[in-house]
Amino acid sequence: MDRITEHPVLSPKEGRVEVRFTFDGKPASGYEGEPISSALVAMGVKRFSSHAKDGAPQGIFCANGQCSQCALIVDGVAVKSCVTALRAGMDVRSVEGLPPLPLSDGPRELAKPRRVSCEVLVIGGGPSGLAATVELGKLGIAVVLADDKADLGGKLVLQTHKFFGSEADCYAGTRGVDIARKLSDQVKALPGVTVLANSPVVGLYADRAAGVLVDYRDYVLVDFKAVLVAAGARERSVLFPGNDLPGVFGAGAFQTLVNRDLVKCSKRVLVLGSGNVGLIAAYHALQAGIEVAGIVEILPQVNGYKVHADKIVRAGVPVYLNTTIVAVEGEGRVERVTVAEVDEKRRPILSTARTYEVDTVLVAAGLSPCDEFLRQARDFDIPAVAAGDAEEIAEASSAMFGGRIAALALAKLLGRAVELDESWVAKREVLRSRPGDTIVREPVVPETGTWKPVFHCVQEIPCDPCTTVCPTHSIALKPVRGSIMDLPRYSGKDCRGCNACVAACPGLAVSLVKGLDGGGAEVVLPFEFPAPFEPGSKLALLDREGASLGEGELVKKVFNRKYKTWLLTVAAPSEIAVRAIGVRVQSEAATRSLPEPRVERLSDEAIVCRCERVTVGEIVRYIKEYRVRDANQLKTLRVGMGACGSKTCTPLLPQVFRQAGVDPAEVAGLTLRPLSIEVPLGTFAGAGPLAAGKDRMK
Amino acid sequence: MKSDIVIVGAGSIGLPLSYYLSKKGLKVVVLEKEASWGRGQNRAAIGGIRATHSDAAKIRIGQESLDIVPRLETEHGFHVEWKRGGYLFVAYDETRENAFRELLSVQKAAGLGIDWIDPDRVAGLVPGIRREDLRGGTWSPGDGSASPLLVASAFYKLAIDAGVEFRFGETVGEFDREGRRATRARTGKDVYEAGLFINAAGADAARIAELLGESLPVNPDSHEAGVTEPVERFLGPMVVDIRPDSESGNYYYYQIASGQIVFCITPKPQAWGTDARSTSSFLPLVARRMVELHPRLANVKVRRTWRGLYPMTPDGLPVVGYARGTENVLAAAGMCGQGFMLGPGLGKILAEATVNGPGAYGFIFDELSPYRTFEGMELLK
Repeated sequence: MDRITEHPVLSPKEGRVEVRFTFDGKPASGYEGEPISSALVAMGVKRFSSHAKDGAPQGIFCANGQCSQCALIVDGVAVKSCVTALRAGMDVRSVEGLPPLPLSDGPRELAKPRRVSCEVLVIGGGPSGLAATVELGKLGIAVVLADDKADLGGKLVLQTHKFFGSEADCYAGTRGVDIARKLSDQVKALPGVTVLANSPVVGLYADRAAGVLVDYRDYVLVDFKAVLVAAGARERSVLFPGNDLPGVFGAGAFQTLVNRDLVKCSKRVLVLGSGNVGLIAAYHALQAGIEVAGIVEILPQVNGYKVHADKIVRAGVPVYLNTTIVAVEGEGRVERVTVAEVDEKRRPILSTARTYEVDTVLVAAGLSPCDEFLRQARDFDIPAVAAGDAEEIAEASSAMFGGRIAALALAKLLGRAVELDESWVAKREVLRSRPGDTIVREPVVPETGTWKPVFHCVQEIPCDPCTTVCPTHSIALKPVRGSIMDLPRYSGKDCRGCNACVAACPGLAVSLVKGLDGGGAEVVLPFEFPAPFEPGSKLALLDREGASLGEGELVKKVFNRKYKTWLLTVAAPSEIAVRAIGVRVQSEAATRSLPEPRVERLSDEAIVCRCERVTVGEIVRYIKEYRVRDANQLKTLRVGMGACGSKTCTPLLPQVFRQAGVDPAEVAGLTLRPLSIEVPLGTFAGAGPLAAGKDRMK
Repeated sequence: MKSDIVIVGAGSIGLPLSYYLSKKGLKVVVLEKEASWGRGQNRAAIGGIRATHSDAAKIRIGQESLDIVPRLETEHGFHVEWKRGGYLFVAYDETRENAFRELLSVQKAAGLGIDWIDPDRVAGLVPGIRREDLRGGTWSPGDGSASPLLVASAFYKLAIDAGVEFRFGETVGEFDREGRRATRARTGKDVYEAGLFINAAGADAARIAELLGESLPVNPDSHEAGVTEPVERFLGPMVVDIRPDSESGNYYYYQIASGQIVFCITPKPQAWGTDARSTSSFLPLVARRMVELHPRLANVKVRRTWRGLYPMTPDGLPVVGYARGTENVLAAAGMCGQGFMLGPGLGKILAEATVNGPGAYGFIFDELSPYRTFEGMELLK
C-alpha cells in the first residue's frame, strides 16, 4: 500500500487497525475509520466509478465532502467515500450509471429534527472562525460553531510547515497543525460555545435557522440571530483539456490525502500555480517522498513569497514562469501533462510544448472564497458578516485578525457596546500585505571561532520569528517600513550559536557560520526532510536560488524537537559556507520532460461543470445561439445543476462568457439555494441516512 | 418600439404564446422584468403535465399541452425530458377513495384516460410504497412530465427564431391609453406601441392589470419544492397524496426522466405573499411524509430546494379574457401553480383565437372569464 511511513514532521496515528473490505468484489484493506476514498487511493485506485452521462472516469477530487465525484456504493447505498469512514467487512462498489436505491422498504421510526438555539452561528472552524468564536465567547455571546471536519483548525490542520507572520500575534514559526490545536483549545474552554465538529452546515433558511448535518448523520436545526461565515476558500478550477481526469485536484485535496491521511497519493506531480499554496503543496509533496516535476506559472514572476519559492527551487523543483498547461491526458487517469510557454496575451506557444509523465496535477492557480452562505444570507436578509478567506483570500495569520475584527463587527450589529482595537486592523493590514521590495544583502564574512547568523531572505514579507526567538536579542528588523514587513539583520555581536533562529525561520532562510582556525568554515543549515546521512558524508550544497556551490562535509546533525527541523553542521570553504542554505533533495531525473511533446485532445474540451460534465465549447456555443445574458440559463445544459451546487463552475463562468464574446458584467449570476451538499431524504425525516448499510453492520 | 402585440412576461405562458403568435405572422415583443426567460415561476415548477383536471376548460388546455410538449422532441429536436409517466392519486382512507371515485365519473365523461386501480397495481407502479391501509388510487397513464427549464428554453429558441423580440430586465410601469384602448407600454428603458397587450405576468399579473385600472383576482401563495440526486429509474408516475395533516396539505413527487426525484408540498396554513425564500420547516416536513409513505426514499439524497409562487384565483381556475375597461388588453394569468402545464396549450389556443376568433374555444373564454363569479374551488388544483 502507498502509505507515508517516513515523514520529517508527521507520524502515523498510534493504534491504527487494519481492516479488510471488498472493492468491486475483490479483497481490499485499509485503516478502520479512515475515509474509504483514502484507503482506495492508498491501494493505487484512481478511477472509482464512471459518470452516468458519458462513462468518464470519476475519482477523488475535493476530498472535502463537497462534490460527489468520489461516490461509491457502500453496502448497497451510494455515499461520498471521502466522508464515509471505513469499517471492516464493507462491500464497496463502483457506481456505473445511476445508482439504484436500495430496497429498504420496511417502516421506519421518524422524528422531527432537534433544534438548538444560539445568538451567533459561526460557519467554519478554521483560523478566522476560531479566532472569531474566541472573541464572541469572551463577550458572553452564545455561539454554535459548526465545522465539517472532525478536527478544528480548517486548513491549518493540513499545514506541516512553519508559519510566517508575527510570533507574538499569530504564532509565526509554529506549524499550522499546532496553531490549530492552540486555537481550538481556547474555543473549547469557553462556556457559551457549542462546537459541532464533523458537522457541515447544509442549508441557511430565511427563518434564521441553519440545517447542520451533525456527525454526517443527524439533521439538527440551529436557530440564530446572526451568522458569521468563515467557511474558507477552495482552489479555483482551471480550464484545460483533461482537467476532469482523476489525478487532477486542488492543493487542498492533495494536502488532505498526504498530510491528514498519510496516503502517498502520487509518485510524481506537476503543480500549476506559484502562489504560496502551490509552492507549499510542492514542498509537502517532497516531504512525503513524492517527486515534483515542476511548478508552472502563467505570470512572468513567482506569485508567492520569494523565500518559499527559493526553498522549493533549492530542493530541486524548477519553477517555469510564463508557462501554462496545454492538456492533461491519460487512460482513465492522469498519465502525462503538456505545458507550454505563453505569449503576451497568455496564449500557449505550441512550439514550446513539453510533456511530463506525472500521475497527478495539482491545481493551485488561485483560491475562490467559500462565500455561498454569505451570499445566501444576504439574499435571505439574514444579518451576516464574513471572515477569513470567505471574506478575502489572504494568509491564515491575517485571517485570525480578520476573525476577531468580524466578531466585534457582528457583536456591534447585535447591539453590544464594543470597541474595536484599532491595532488589530493595522496588524491585519500588514499580515495580508503582498510581498514588498527585494533587497541586496551585504556579503557576510565568517569570523574565526564565533558564530553569526546569515540571512538568506531578501524580500519584504510579514515575518519576524528570528527576532523573537533570539535569546540575546541580537537580531532585529531593520526599520524601513516600521512593521514586520521589514527584513532582519544581526546586531554584530552576542550570537551564542544556539541555532534558535535557524530552527525557527519558516523560510528555512537563516544559517549560522563560523570560521575555523585552520581555514574554511562551518555552517549550520536547517533541513526539513528525512536526513539519512551521517557525519563524514559529503553533501551537495546549494545557494539561495538553488545554484550548486560544491560539496561540504557533514560534521554533525541534530534534530530540533520543538521545530521538528534537522540542523546540519557542514564544513566547507568559507566562500561556500556563507552562501550555502540548502541541500539538494530531489534528483534532476524527476524533472525531465519527454523527448517529444505529446498532446491528443482539443482545446475546447475542457470541462467547466464537472458534476454534469459540460465543456467550454458546448457552453460557448449555447451562449451565442441563445444570446444568453443570465448564467442561470446555462442550466439548460445542466451547468450548475450537479451535486456540488455550482461551487466549482461559478468562478469559471466569467471567463467562459468572455470567450463567447459577452462582457461578464452584463450577465446575471447563478441563483443560490439550499442545500450546499447532498443529504439523504431520510435524514430530514429523522430516519438516519445509511439504514441499509448500518443495519447490516450491527 | 412598435409591434402588433406586446406580451408582458416571458414565462410559462408568454413564451409559447409569443411563438404561436409569431408563427401566425404577427410581430411580437415580449417584455420581461427578470434577466432572462422563464425566471419567474416557470423555474419553480416541478414539471407535471396533465389533462386530468376537473374543469372542462383546463382539461381541454391540458390535452393540447400533452400533444405539444412531446412534439418539441419529436418534431423540433429539443430535449425537454418528456416522460409519459402518468399521475397516480393514492387513497389510504375512505374519504379519499370516495372523492376520487366521484371525480372519476366526471373525468371519464370528459373522455380522459383515467381509472381506478387496486393496491397491487399501485404497488406495481410505485415499488416500495406502503401497503398498510392502501385502498388503491386513480391512475391516468396519458399524463406526463417534462423539464420546465428545458421547455422554456425550447420555446424561447423557437420564438427568437420565429422573430419574436425579447426585452429582458424591463418592468412595465405605465400604460398610455386613448379612450378604451391601451396604446403604449412604458418601461423605464423604452416605450412599446402595440395593437394588443397580453398580460402573462404570472405572480405580477394583478399589478399589471392595476396599471390599467383593472382588478384581477390573482394573489400568490407559495410552495416549497426540492430535487434529489439522480438514481436508477424505478418510479413511473407522479404520486399525489392529497391527505392533509396538521402541518401540511397535499404533497406529490415523481422521478423525472433524468432520474432525480422532484417533490413539493402544500403548507398549512397556506403561505400568502411573494416571499420565495426557503424555510427550515420544509425539508423535515416533506421528508417525514414521503418516507412514511415510501420508505425506500429515505436513501435518496436531496440536492436542492426552492420556493415558488402559485398565482391563485379564488376558485382555483385561470383568468383568461379581455378587459372590459380596456378592450385591447388580454389577461392570461392566475394559473394557480399550473402555468407550466397549461402554457403550451393555452399559448396555441390563444394565438388561434386572437387571429381567427374564439370559435370552438369559446367555452374556455366563458369558463375562465375574468368576470365570472369565482365561486367554488377546483377539486384537483
